[in-house]
Order: sequence, then C-alpha cells, then structure tokens
Amino acid sequence: MPKREDLHTILIIGSGPIVIGQACEFDYSGAQACKVLKQEGYRIVLVNSNPATIMTDPGLADRTYVEPITPEFVEKVIAREKPDALLPTLGGQTALNTAVELAESGVLDKYGVEMIGCDLAAIQRGEDRKLFNECMEDLGIETARSGYAYSVEDAEGIADELGYPVVLRPSYTLGGAGGGIAHDHDELVRIVSQGIELSPAGEVLVEESIEGWKEYEMEVMRDRAGNGIIVCSIENLDPMGVHTGDSITVAPAQTLSDVEYQRMRVASLAVLEKVGVETGGSNVQFAVNPVNGRMVIIEMNPRVSRSSALASKATGFPIAKAAARLAVGYTLDEIVNDITKKTPACFEPTIDYCVVKVPRFAFEKFKDTDDTLSTRMKAVGEVMAIGRTFEEALGKALRSLEDGHAGFGADGKALGGRVEESFESHVSRPTAERIFYLAEALRRGWSVERIHEATGIDPFFLTRMADIVTVEEALRNMPLDGIDADTFRLAKRYGLSDVQIAYLTNTSELMVRTCRKALGVVPTFKTVDTCAGEFESETAYHYKTYDAEATEVAPGDRKRVMILGAGPNRIGQGIEFDYCCVHASYALSAEGYETIMVNCNPETVSTDYDTSDKLYFEPLTYEDVMDIVDVEKPDGVIVTLGGQTPLKLAGALAKAGVPIMGTQPESIDLAEDRDRFSDIMDELGIAYPAAGMAHTADEAVEVAHRIGYPLLVRPSYVLGGRGMAVVYDADHLKRYMAAAAKISPDHPIYLDRFLESAVEVDLDAVCDGDEVYIGDVLEHIEEAGIHSGDSACCTPPFSLSNAIVDQLRDTATRLALRLGTVGLINIQFAVKDQTVYVIEANPRASRTVPFGSKATGVPLAKVASRVMAGEKLADMGLPSDRRAFDHFSVKEAVMPFGRFPGSDVVLGPEMKSTGEVMGIADSFPAAYYKTQLAVGYDIPDAGNVFISVADRDKRSIVPIARDIARLGYQLVATAGTARALKAAGLSCTVVKKIHEGSPNINEDIADGKIVFMINTPFGHETRGDGYELRSAAVRHGVPYATTLSAAQALATAMEVVRQRTLDVIALQDLPQWGI
Amino acid sequence: MSELSESILERTSKPKREPALLVLEDGTVFRGRACGASGEVFGEACFNTSLEGYLEVLTDPSYAGQIITMTYPQIGNYGVNPEDAQAKKLALRGLVVRDMCYTPSNWRSTETLPEYLTRNGVVAVEGVDTRALVRHIRSAGAMRAVLSTIDLDEKSLLAKVKASPSIVGQNLAETVSCMAPYHFDASELPASKVFALEPPAAPEHKVIAYDCGVKRSILEGLVRAGCDVTVVPWDTPAERVLAEHPDGVFLSNGPGDPEAVAATYEQVGKLIGNVPVFGICLGHQMISCAAGADIEKLKFGHRGGNHPVMNLLTGRVEITAQNHGFGCVFESLGPLVPELSGGVTEHAHDLRFWAERKIAPVVDNKRFGKIRLTHVNLNDGTCEGIALLDEPAFSVQYHPEASPGPTDAHYLFTAFVRLMDGDESYLDIDIARDRLAGWSFGRTPAEEKEAVNA
Repeated sequence: MPKREDLHTILIIGSGPIVIGQACEFDYSGAQACKVLKQEGYRIVLVNSNPATIMTDPGLADRTYVEPITPEFVEKVIAREKPDALLPTLGGQTALNTAVELAESGVLDKYGVEMIGCDLAAIQRGEDRKLFNECMEDLGIETARSGYAYSVEDAEGIADELGYPVVLRPSYTLGGAGGGIAHDHDELVRIVSQGIELSPAGEVLVEESIEGWKEYEMEVMRDRAGNGIIVCSIENLDPMGVHTGDSITVAPAQTLSDVEYQRMRVASLAVLEKVGVETGGSNVQFAVNPVNGRMVIIEMNPRVSRSSALASKATGFPIAKAAARLAVGYTLDEIVNDITKKTPACFEPTIDYCVVKVPRFAFEKFKDTDDTLSTRMKAVGEVMAIGRTFEEALGKALRSLEDGHAGFGADGKALGGRVEESFESHVSRPTAERIFYLAEALRRGWSVERIHEATGIDPFFLTRMADIVTVEEALRNMPLDGIDADTFRLAKRYGLSDVQIAYLTNTSELMVRTCRKALGVVPTFKTVDTCAGEFESETAYHYKTYDAEATEVAPGDRKRVMILGAGPNRIGQGIEFDYCCVHASYALSAEGYETIMVNCNPETVSTDYDTSDKLYFEPLTYEDVMDIVDVEKPDGVIVTLGGQTPLKLAGALAKAGVPIMGTQPESIDLAEDRDRFSDIMDELGIAYPAAGMAHTADEAVEVAHRIGYPLLVRPSYVLGGRGMAVVYDADHLKRYMAAAAKISPDHPIYLDRFLESAVEVDLDAVCDGDEVYIGDVLEHIEEAGIHSGDSACCTPPFSLSNAIVDQLRDTATRLALRLGTVGLINIQFAVKDQTVYVIEANPRASRTVPFGSKATGVPLAKVASRVMAGEKLADMGLPSDRRAFDHFSVKEAVMPFGRFPGSDVVLGPEMKSTGEVMGIADSFPAAYYKTQLAVGYDIPDAGNVFISVADRDKRSIVPIARDIARLGYQLVATAGTARALKAAGLSCTVVKKIHEGSPNINEDIADGKIVFMINTPFGHETRGDGYELRSAAVRHGVPYATTLSAAQALATAMEVVRQRTLDVIALQDLPQWGI
Repeated sequence: MSELSESILERTSKPKREPALLVLEDGTVFRGRACGASGEVFGEACFNTSLEGYLEVLTDPSYAGQIITMTYPQIGNYGVNPEDAQAKKLALRGLVVRDMCYTPSNWRSTETLPEYLTRNGVVAVEGVDTRALVRHIRSAGAMRAVLSTIDLDEKSLLAKVKASPSIVGQNLAETVSCMAPYHFDASELPASKVFALEPPAAPEHKVIAYDCGVKRSILEGLVRAGCDVTVVPWDTPAERVLAEHPDGVFLSNGPGDPEAVAATYEQVGKLIGNVPVFGICLGHQMISCAAGADIEKLKFGHRGGNHPVMNLLTGRVEITAQNHGFGCVFESLGPLVPELSGGVTEHAHDLRFWAERKIAPVVDNKRFGKIRLTHVNLNDGTCEGIALLDEPAFSVQYHPEASPGPTDAHYLFTAFVRLMDGDESYLDIDIARDRLAGWSFGRTPAEEKEAVNA
C-alpha cells in the first residue's frame, strides 16, 4: 500500500527533558521520524521542550516548538498549525500520555486531528493492566496472577491470597516509577501507599512474584496489512526482579531452544494484533520459569521504547524510521532495508555477533538512597558493546562504562558498594557493582552453582564469566614477554583489555600494546549488516573483534575526520555532548570530509548508522580508539566535543602521534592545571577567587584560614562537580574531609573562596586563533555555589548591565586567545559587587552549547567544527555577536530526586540533574514560567504557600512573600519565618515543624494542603526538618524552591502569567543562521 | 595454538581437543579445533543464518552431502533435547562454528551439543572465522570442501577435495529415505514439546508421505493437522500408493539435486490428477520437475529462518524457514495466460515483478494445464510456491513446519487438509489467526482455576 496522500501536516510530540527511564533514545527515534517523514514530503510540526536534542534543530521539522509538552501547550500548537495527524508513538511515555489526554479531552476531534500509528483504544489496552490482562486471557497467554488495589487494605487482601513476595506496579507511571517488590507486610504498606499517590489512576497492581525467572524482550513491528516481524530478541542477564532498564541485557536471546523461542515469537505477534497496534514498533516482555518453561507475559509498550533503540543499534534495523513510514501507510514489504539497500525491510534481522548492554548508574550522587536494583528504574544511561562472543562483548561493555573499570574484574579497581556489607550479600544483592562482585566471587573460587543459587543468574552466563576469570587468573603475574601471540589472541577473545593484561602482568598499557602489536596481534573489524553476511551491505557500521585476519574496513580516499563521542549518559555528561558530536559530523560532512564516529552509547543520534559516513560502535578507551586510528588513519581527531570522555584521552592520543583537531592538549592542560591557569589570569589581569590546595587535613585548615570562609572545596579529580561542597567554618571543613573527600599527598583537595550571593554567568565562545565569537552569555537564576548544570539560566542576561556584559566579553576574548583555543570555550564567571571573577575556563564544548545555539540561532558546534578544520570566523558570514534579541530564552534543569527516595534535594556545587528544558518568550518571567511548566510544575491559582527559610534569608524572603500574598495565596510558615513575615506586616498561619508534634507541616504536605513550598537549607544541616520537608515535597509532587532567587523568579513569573496568556513560538520564527 | 594458550584454554570449560582444518576447493583454508567426532569428511560448504535451532538444522536430512556453517557465533548454548532432532540418523557431513558451548543451560537439555555430535559421528570444528567463510561463499558461491581432524596438510586436503564428487547430479535422497513403509501417528509426538503445543486434531485424513529425507516435524505437522500418515520410500510406485486409496499424498523435503531424483518425480506425474498432492521443498521441485520445469542451482542457496515470502493471493508476507540450494524456474513451466495474469504477456525473470503488483500469474503448462505462481521470495524474486488450477496439487519451496524458524506458514498444513476436503479456496487463510493454531501459551487464570478445582 502506498503512503497516504490525504495527510499533509503531521504533528510529532517529543519526550521532553532527559529523565531516568526516558533518555535520549527518544531524540534518536524522533529525529529519525522527522527525517523520513519530511523526505516523504509531509509538513512536520514538532513539540519538544528539550533544547539539547537533534530533533529540535530547526532544519529537521518545518515548525519546531520548544514548548512545554502539556495538553494545554500542545493544543495551542494544534490550533495554530492545524495538523492532519498526530504521531504519538515516538516520544516515549510523555508523548503517549499527552496524546491520550488530548484525545480524551476531545481536542483532537475538535481540530480534526487523526492519531496515526496507534489509536486511543490500543494505547489503553496496552497501558491499562486490566484491559491488557483481558486481552491476554482471550489469547490464552498467561499473565502473572494478580489483583488491583486502590487502598492498602485491598493490597493486603490480595497479597494474603498470592503469598509473599509480591510485586507492586502503580498504573501509568514512567519507567515503573513507584513500583517495587514487597517481601513482607511492612514493605507492602510502604510501597503501596507511595504507589497509589504516584499513580495518576490511584491504582496499584499486586502481583505474584516471578522474581528469579528468566526475562526476555521481543521487539516487534507490524504494518497495516498485518505483516509482523520480530526485529530482535533480548535476554536479560539479571533475572526477573530488576527493571529491564537496570539489567544487563544480551541480544539475541541466548538460552532458548527453537520451540521456546518460536512460541514466544508467535505470542508477541498475537499480542500486537490483539492490543490493536495498527502499525509501528512495540516491545513485549516475557518471563520464563527456568525450571519448566512456563511463560508469562509481563507487559507491552505500544510505542517505540528504549529497547527499540537498543534493538535498532544491535541489529542495524531502524525501527523508528520504519515505524514512521508504516504510520503514513506504507507496508513493510514496500520499505527497503536501509543497510543492504537490496532486500525489503519485511524480514527478521539475523546477526552474527553478540550484543551486551550494561546500564550506567549514578548512586554516588545520591548518597543516602537504597542502591538495590528493583523494578523501579534507576539507571541514568547505558552502554552497548558488540563482540563475536558474549565474553568479548561483556568485556567491552564493562570498559565502556567510564567508571574506572577496564573489564570484567582484573583491573585493580577497588569494589564499590557499602563497606559494612558482607561479601555474600554483595554477590546476591543486585546493585550497580554486582557484576564486578561476580568476577571477584569467581576469582575466590565460588562455583557457578553457588553463584546461581545466590543470584538466579542463568548458569550459561555464569559459565562464560567463569571462563573469563580463568583466563585472567592464568595471566596473573606472568611476565609480559612470556605471553605469545596465541595467548594474547586468546585473552583478547575472552574480552580482556590491554589495561587488564597490564594489571595482571604488572606492566603498563602501552607496553602491552607494543608487545601485542609486535607479535602481530591486532583486531579485525566486522560489519553490522542485519543479515549475518548473507547479502552485501552498503552501510559502514563496524565493530572490532579478535577473529581471523579477515577485516572489512579500509581507509577512504577523502580527507577523514574522526569524532570521539561522549560514551554513556551520566549526570554531568548527557545528550548535550552527543548533540555537539552530531553537529560536528554534519558540518564537516558538508565541508567534504569523510566523517568517522566512535561511540558506545546506543541511545544516541551519533550512533545512528546514517549520521556519519562511518560508525564504529566501540568503547572510548585509549586502546579501542587507537585500534581504529590504526586502520582509519584519520587526518584529524576531534576530542573537544564529547565532554570529559574523549578529552581525557587527548594527551595520550597526541603523544601517540594522532593529529588532534582544534585546541591542542597543551592548551587544555593550561586551562585545567590550576597553577598554570592562575599564572595566566595574573598575567592578563583577570580577577579570580582566592584559591589554594592542600595535601593533608591540617594543611587544609591552614589554607582555609588564609583564604577565608566560606569556601568551595573539591577533590582533585572532578566530574560533574562530584564531591564538591561549600563549607562555612573549620568544623564543617573537617567533617567534609572525613566524609566526602579522601585527602592524601596523591589526592589533594582544592579550596576556593566562595563568593556568596554572587551572580553566576556562563559564556560560550568560539575562537579561531585570531578572533573570538561570543556565542551566548547565560545569566544564572540561582546564585553562585549551585552547580551550573543544575542552575536555571537566561540569555540574553536579564539583570546584568551592558558594562558588565562588555567586561565579560572582553575577558572571555582575551582568555580564549591566550589559552590558544581553536574551537569552543566555555567560561564561568561570578559577578559580585560589580567585579567580574573568572571561576573556570574550559576550552571545549560545554553543556550549554545546544541551548545557546537554539536561543541565538547560531549553531555553535558547527561553527566550532569548521574552525577546527581550519576555517576562519571572518569567512563564515556569522551575524554580529553583539546583536540585540527580541526574545528571552531560559534553561531549567530537571532533577531525578523522585527516583532516589532518601537523598536530599538541596542544590549545591555537585551536579544532580539529568536533563534540561527550554522556555522562549518575549520576557524573562514568561520564559521562566514556561520552563517550570515544562518540568512538570503546575501551581494552582490559589492555596497555601509554605515558607521556611534559613536565618540568613529571613530578611530577603519578605519581598518575595509579599508578592506571593498579593497573588492571592495564603502564607503558611514555621515559627521563625512566621515571625519575620509578621514583623513585615504580612499575615500568615504558623504551622508546627515535624518534631513539634501533630498536626505538622509534613502532614499538610501529605494531605495536599500545600501548593508550593519555599525552603532554603540551614547551612550544613542537611539532616534536619528541612530535609524531611523537601523529601516530602518530592514524594508528593509539590513544587518547591530551595533558593530565594528561584522563588523570586517564580513569583514574578506567576504574576506575569496572571496578566496574559502565554503564546507559543516556533524556532523558525526566530532568526536562524544556517551554517 | 601455542602450548601456553592450549594450557590456558584447557582450564576453561573447553576440553583439550585436536586441531581441525577446513579446506575449500578454491584453496581457501580455515583452521580451528575439533568439537565433535574426529575424522575427515567431504561435502558442499554452505551456511545457515538461523539464530537458534542448531539441532534441528544439523539433523535435517536435507543437509545430506553438506558441511554446514552456522552464522551465529556461539552454538550449543541451550544444549540438546534429542526429541528436537529431525531424523534419527544424521545426514550432514560436517559442522563449522565460531564458538562451541560445552556447558549449556536449559531445562529441556539432556546432553551437550559436542557430546551429541561425537555420539553421532559428526565431524565438527570451532574457532573458525565463520563470517569470513560466509562472505567467501557469498561471493564465490557454494563449493566443495573437506573438513578433517586427521590430515592437517593443506596441500593434501586440497588435492582430496578436488577429487571429491560434486553435489550436482548426485541422488542423495535415496541415501536418507526410509527402507520400508512405516506408520506415523499421534503416539509419535514428542513428550518434551507438550508444554508448548496443543494436542493434535483427530486423525481424519489418510495421507501417504513420500520420504526423500523427510523432517520429523513435517510428519508431526501433518499429524497435528489431523492426518494419519504412512511414510513410504522415495521410489514407491504410484500405483501401489493409489491402491491404498489415500485422501492425499505428501511429497517431502530432501537433499541435493532434484533432477537426480527421477524415480520420485516420475511417480508424481502419475499421482497428480488422481489424488490431492502437497509438496514441500524437494517435494515442490518434484512437482515442478514432473511438470517439465527447469531447475536452477542457486549461487549459495537459501538457508535460514528469516526469508520474506509473499503469498500473492493475499498480499501478506510470511517470514519463512528455508533450506534449499536448487530452485524451480517459474517461466519454464509454460507461457503466461494473460487474462489470468493481470493482462501481462511476458514473463519477468525476477518474480518480485508480481509481488509489487500483487498479481498471482498463471501459466499454461503442457502437462498439467494451468499453474499459478502463489509465493515469491522478496529477497531475490525466486519462485517459492505454485498451485495447479486444473488438478488438486500445490507446493512450496520453503518450510511451513519451520523447525527451526518462524511458523508463519503453518497455514499450509491447514490448506492441505482443506484441499483434501475439496475446498476450492484452500489457500485463502488468515496467516495471523492460523499462526496461533496449535500453540499452547500456558493456562489462563480461568483454566488454572478449573484445573485447581478439578
């Protein structure tokens, strides 16, 4: 069937900010959809609040709205753009939920918008457990035995019938939020009461436990002619009980016999038909009892999912692209397989390699939360690795994680986790670190049976792991020159890295590499081709393996540039860097370069096989990158766009003679080495906060005394502000050193004078060596001391004077030139008492580049890439960087606290946010308000606003409280704050603190009596009432502000919004410079 | 391998094994380690792209005379359940894998694959760069090969392989057919699959199956569809078969060159018109040969579980299991009948021409009258199925019994039963609904309650 000609304009909804459970995989799928539907000649309208996405690049859709993904705002877009159809299946749960609301409220009918890809009834059958279970019963497919609870009492009754443990799943929550396993009555009560609150339907499914069963996923596609295919099967290494997003997973399924697999295949196809997924991709999850093969369906997602992205990268089959084409009427047999370009897409990919995905966690950021993995997803990112065997792929995946591991054990990296916990418990309890405890248990001689007993992990995987450990132990303490070529090859085939071999032989990675290559042990490169080599493939999507000599890659004859990606998403390094890498690829491709992408993150656009001319799906380690350099011999390597990951390779690569493009490692070091950097600032006459360094605790106290409190302290190795804190006195400093940072002569700590109440400013610029182009100047809302990644910011600056901005520009220009920057540079300033201080300068892409590019219409990463390739800014026809803007753009961070019960929600120097949203409007308050809506804050027009602030804030809170009262809210405050308010003539109700007995503020929050909360932390008292309050607010979804500046901004915003309605703005209506 | 690497490998789950050598007739050499029986075997080198179902592949009698390479690198992961085997006696010559699993894991497994191979005398090698081998066969075509654990001299093996017979012109069917007729009914259905499959339909049709190397799951498929099956040797005279007054005759799959199996297709010519006939794979080629069609040898064959085939009558695509190196040339069956072929008068060699237009063309065949093209392979436009319009007979080149592979084409067994019942539109079946037939997914809560109450 050909494509539909009755549709002209199609609305696509994105997935919004990166949050746990919904990350950049939806940028990948949404970008693919926009691309192909535009190619098909449709007019594309896009709504997505996330500026760091490729899909919101103004060139990808015809009309791009970076607006809150709420029914209200999407309706405004519909009213203006009059789309014929809405495609809701490519923007994750957010898009699906919004589409459902629009359909149910009659908006789609009102404007005559047809939902394509999946209709409302099908979404409901897929998402509503009751309807879903009925469908399954019709098909004769088993679901776990269960019942619905609308109260704790309901749940108790059902659990008594099923017996403990029981699994609890709140309906309609993202990534299983609020779910968990209850092993006893207490746990049941705790999880159910939370779950009922979190579920929009106030409903929790209580289910028999199938914990310990094997878990599988099937990625299915269907067209409107009824053709159905399985794109990929996935087997979870972690058995049932761990959310699939938190599990290590393997593709294809490893331990199913044909009859079991085919039964699951038929069931998956039947589920799609029954649920009524007319076209597109879906994901169906099963549990299989390892003892008797009993198969139970867990759930299905009637949309493209995180697993779809993984399956696409694992097989080369572009699920999102195909889903978009199917939605507009094509059938699978009419679509050509993108990879072979010869065969139809109506087939089931077959692969001749093994794929392992390992999730990346960030528990170190949320210290007091339970790190046990459960049915509620907590991973912030993931890596994927391809090898010819499971062993090889596992080793690669584990060294891709960027957490210091070099493979499956045997790398000298200390095991993490709680110190007080027994080794046995570390093995049996699923955690982020568990996989490494498995290696250690095997090394200690635990049998496969014993580990299987303790973990439920299939013996197939454990035996493979035991073999890896056997090979590792055989190499331990061997002289490096005793290892012959065959043995090197053997070690490599079991997935060992050069770093591991170096550790085992007490040598260095470079020596291992030299020896290995001297013996002729070099990898070969194979191709991902969807067909296991049966047909020729046109697409250069490669992976490395230690197979025989047959390699499938050779350098091209054009000028080649290699772009090193950002690796797994984690807090501090997310989609923003992938965006920059993708832009580099686009820009340099347009300049005639052959572009070669290296990355290991399956969620990204950069690892889409058609983003660059060649894609290497490989870890970003020295060894893996150098192996690719050896075969591709690139003319230049870009290391400054992928965040810390490639940056920390820069020095070693340069030393190995690899041509680094743009800013040289020497310049990077100049900016990072604090002493050298201070010298430069002194030389240029630039002010910076007093600073010092200490190697011992006593020295630290001494240095602190010299500089003066408060101080910003941090360990010498920093990523995303990890381990940073503001300390107010010597006691506090000592406590910090005891708890957060190990101080030793090898690991000094840095102490900086903390500029309290200073305004922080970020500036992104591009320097070509002669000239500097200021891309954006971003004024932070929160004052200095809050990590810039967690702070909201606005461009152009809303409160800084022209004189100050000029000074910032001048300082940035001098600094960029002096550092020898060629490409991007990000500088952080603090402005206090009209003095500009430089806090730090990073001659590389920053997190704010995508936001800045969207706000100003100048694609900075593309400009920078061309500069790195040798072009001059003067030749690019850029608009003046001093031009005035008619609009304000605000960026707000999105916090994951809801996922980490127990961790404090106060913002500080350590970054904790996972993503960001953007709001655009003609005034700062209006733009700011949009961002608050986009992160999910929806503050009612009236109600109680609770205020409790630290003593130092008691004076400044008064005008804010006055604004809030004027807007018609009732003020509620604790005794101390109430006194300050009343003294200023404001009426307010006094409420008890938690420890003052009942009724207290915590109960009010739980009862939904508070619509907004302002609570600033009391210095370092993080475990007092404030902590309880903020946790309660997160738990109950009450909007809150923990800084006065944020509270002020919000109050102003509410006032502005009261006066007029907010309009939507398309990026295409703002000035854009196509570079 | 060096002594050191051998000694390390021995400490893993892999036992010490002797080296093995695979030499192709063009001189290409692959080295590895033995992982099955020891010995020296000759055959045609080919590959199968199924991700799972290795046991069904290597026990398929159609692999007689061949050395099969599995493209998925790790084989043996879920062990062996002998009831999954497609024949009692293994017919393939040798097996090539990238990595053999000695420590499988699956509740249905009773032994490891290496044990099974050794017990059944199958020479196997692991450690081969199977992707390089596959790419070589893809570009150079299927060719003769030798796999040896005895002679490790490349030159000597190359000389031997050049002297070995080619698969073309060999009658391999007679080597794998049964010697005497036997009965196959519901009592033969394997107990180890009961967990996944419904009980069979009542036996209401008497079917005689020609065994040219029949896969067990085809017989199981017939029984499940309600057939009472008598299996007869490949060259059983048609007269003897017709004397039994069967409701239908089934023509099985089988190995090698169909033109060498004259004793079967000569009988087929006598059967058609007298009894409903259904053929699978070689059986399809038997009907084609009986109709006087040309047979072509495919460059490297279709072997795997992911080939898309369009049913031209419904426009629906089936994902199919395939295993054949020869194929019927549709245009050689006769000139097109334009009024039954959408007005088209000239044959298109690439049959995807018909798939794009969703037309099932009809030719006028000298022997059997009108023959319709019913199924086309969407990967390469080859003929996958035909139906005789003037006689009750149809056949497909691919494997509706799957085993291993997707079961989308299960409806063809249903179609055969409908043909025997005299249903004119016997092929017009909803794939999706039929695909569910015969599977048992487990007990529904209602059934569970019933079972508990009982």
